[in-house]
Order: sequence, then structure tokens, then C-alpha cells
Amino acid sequence: MSHAIDIRDLQYRAGKTFEIRDLALRVPTGSLYGFLGPNGSGKTTTVRLMLGLLRPLSGSITVLGAQVPRDIPRILARTGYVPEQPHLYQSLTIDEALRFHSVFYPTWDWGWANELFGHFGLERDRRLSQLSKGEMGKLEMLLALAQRPELLVLDEPTDGLDPVVRRDVLGALLEYVSHLVHELERICDWVGVMDRGRLVAELPMQSFKNGIKRLRVANPPALPGDTPFVVLAREVNNGTETWTVRGWQPPMSQYFDGVGASLREVIDLDLEEGFVELLRTFRVPRE
Amino acid sequence: MFRMILFTQWKWSRLAVLLGTLAAFLLPILSVQHAGSREVTPWEARMLLTSIQSWSVLYPTLATAIALTLALMAWSADHRGRHVYALSLPVPRWHYALQRFGAGAVLLIPPAIALLIGALVAAALATIPHGLQTYPVALAARFALAMAVAYAVFFAISAGTTRTAGYVLSIPFIGDRLLLWPGPLEIFSGRWMLIDV
Repeated sequence: MSHAIDIRDLQYRAGKTFEIRDLALRVPTGSLYGFLGPNGSGKTTTVRLMLGLLRPLSGSITVLGAQVPRDIPRILARTGYVPEQPHLYQSLTIDEALRFHSVFYPTWDWGWANELFGHFGLERDRRLSQLSKGEMGKLEMLLALAQRPELLVLDEPTDGLDPVVRRDVLGALLEYVSHLVHELERICDWVGVMDRGRLVAELPMQSFKNGIKRLRVANPPALPGDTPFVVLAREVNNGTETWTVRGWQPPMSQYFDGVGASLREVIDLDLEEGFVELLRTFRVPRE
Repeated sequence: MFRMILFTQWKWSRLAVLLGTLAAFLLPILSVQHAGSREVTPWEARMLLTSIQSWSVLYPTLATAIALTLALMAWSADHRGRHVYALSLPVPRWHYALQRFGAGAVLLIPPAIALLIGALVAAALATIPHGLQTYPVALAARFALAMAVAYAVFFAISAGTTRTAGYVLSIPFIGDRLLLWPGPLEIFSGRWMLIDV
């Protein structure tokens, strides 16, 4: 499998408190890769390192087959980027911002830009400083898409967009960075979870969603013993217990027969619940 | 690409350019308003030179003000966006910085030309006493060079962080080296006289 992004042994430090350690991350070509993690976990920093906006202490980053930072202009010419915070020149009008941006990209598509322009309902002669958050988000998205990028890197791009536009633009995404987990669930096929500068999990979305379950267990053993799955949490309610587990597969229900318990129900978790449980797993040993 | 960068810089600094151009045109004309007749006493000629000299401090001041404003405006939008936009554009950083520098340098041309025209007009209008000469082209060349040097210095300083600029400007040794020959700011010292012996 080829990878659009391949990060190995990445080290980065900002100040005394924040660091990224031994980060390895691979985004398969053609995938919609979602980056999950709480605020301050290192998602935006990783994106900035990937695009050469920050310099790592060590490690290697390959994007679209080219090395960062050596080939950064070549990579950026093929990458659409929507940053977390609006970054365009505020004194320009929308039309001027489009013309300014377009001259830097040989693949710029005016036809599509105009189409998106109409679709987003923007006014060409409005100054960027007068735009609402949602309009600015639309413009940033328009600029990133109209350059016909091979790789699209979006750092919380839907913040402030209305639901209709949000749904339309999300269809074109290759890389998605967000802690808005419900959106990721709808569009991503791979997911990476970051916490405190570490990538704690990287797996296909389906595995992520399927692997974490809540089980209702009657007559549970006092100690789970050697389980074929990872028990993340146990809660007692009305004579039964609810176990939150990771790595669950249906044949594993035989385990309960072996310990004299009975499995009453297997409950699917949505992505947000799964994300919270996964983070809890990784944090417990360190707290 | 350069045209668009020039356009943005013009948009950000056009007021400063227009005011600077107007001031550069008027300054030499105003400086010779006391020039009277060709037949004057040595004392009157000296008074005229003193008057011209009192105006001469305004030339380097104006050159510095224009250069400083253009240098600051060249980077202010990028500073506000923490350089994320500029860094995410697919051009080498040195190339982008060079184009920003070049665009600002182009905007120095109108004030330089305005001062040349103003100096030529002033020299033509003024009645110069015997023994004195006008130097409109030399004055305009000096003004243009001073603007270019100041712009280059301020552009380099403002490209860095505020802390870096503070360090550079707070070291007296560097200040002396810049202002004295062969320092680049030596152009600002000396005589800025439209009329001289």
C-alpha cells in the first residue's frame, strides 16, 4: 500500500511542556484520514510539521513521495490546506484574495473556483475583514479546493459553516483534522488518535468503531482473569455489570460460558464514546 | 506572481506612498522660498544657506519615514497571520521574501521621482545668488539611496520577530557601525543641500 503521508520517528518540542515523541503515522493514498484527539494533543502541530511550517527536532516526513522540508514548495503546490485559524490577508477583497492565491498554483481551476463561488454564495467585492466566521471558512475551503490538490489537509474546517455547506464540502476531503468526532464518523475511512503528543491508535474506521463495545454481563466473575479482549471499564447496575471492552469479536462470547457468566447484550458505541473510552485506557496507567 | 505581491503591498501602503510622494515634491520647493535676488551680500548668502540647511534635516527624516513605513507594511499582514499563509504558499521562502522586498522597493520610486521633480522645479524657480549652485539631481539621488538603504535595513529587521529587532537596535556598537563610514547608514549624515557653494 502506498502512502500519501508517511511520518517516522518524529520528535518536536515547543517550550518546556509540549512535545511530540516518536510519532509514526501513515496515511494510505486515496483514504479519508481523520485525526482525533483532545485539545492540545498535537494534531495541529503534526499538520504544521507535515507541511513544513514547523521544523522537527528529528525524524522523517514524506508527503506525496517528497521529503519535508527539502521539497516543501513542490509538496505545497499539490496540497490544499485550510488552517485552524483564518490566515488570509484581511484587507483584501474576496476577488483580490482569489486572484492573489491563484497565481501561486499552476493547477488552479478558475472554472471550479467560480462554480464553488456561486455555490457558497460569496460576494466578490467584500473585504475579508468584514466576513463572518462561516463565510471565511467557505472562502478558505474554496481556495483549497480550486487549486485541485492531490492532498487536502483540513484543520477543523467546518467550524462556523452552516450544515448544508458543511455536508457539500466534506465530500471532497482526503485528510481531515478535527475533534468533531461525529463528522469524522460520517466521512473518514481511517482514523488516528493523538493524545499528549503521541499517536495512541491508528486503524481503519470500521475497526475502531467495531472494536469497542459495551457488554451487559450477568453473574460476572469477581476478577475477569485472562480475557480475549481488553476490559476498559466495569460498572455495576442492578445485579448485572456493564463492561466497556476493546478488541471485541463475536466468537469471544464463549469466554463468558467458561467463567460461569452470561452475556446478555452487546452494545455498539458511537465514535465519540469509543474515542473517550480509548483515551481513558491510555491515560489510566499514567495518572 | 510579482504583480500580485506588488498589488497587495500597494494596497497596504498606498496612503504612505501618496503622502510621501507629495511631501517629497513639496519639500525642495518650500526650502527655497527665501531665495531672493542674484545680487546679495555675503551675509545674506550665508543666511540663505542657513535657511536651506535648516530644511535639510527633513530630507533624511522623510526618507526614513517612507522607508520605515513601507518596510513595516511589507510584513505586517504576514505578522498578523503569524506567517501561516506565506509559509503555506508553494514558493521557497527566500523567493517570497525577495518578491516582498522587490515590491516595496518599487514603491520607493514615486517619492524619489517626486523629489527629483520638486528639486528641479525649485531650482528653476529660485533665484540663486552668485557663487552658489543648485544640486537637484545629487539631492534626489541621495534621497533615493537613503530610502533604499533605510528600507533594506528596516525590511530585514521587521522580517524577524519583535524580540530580534529589539536586540539588533539596542546594541550601540551596531548603531555606530551602521551610521559611520563605511556603514550603510552613513548616507544619512553629511549635507543635504539643494543650494550650496
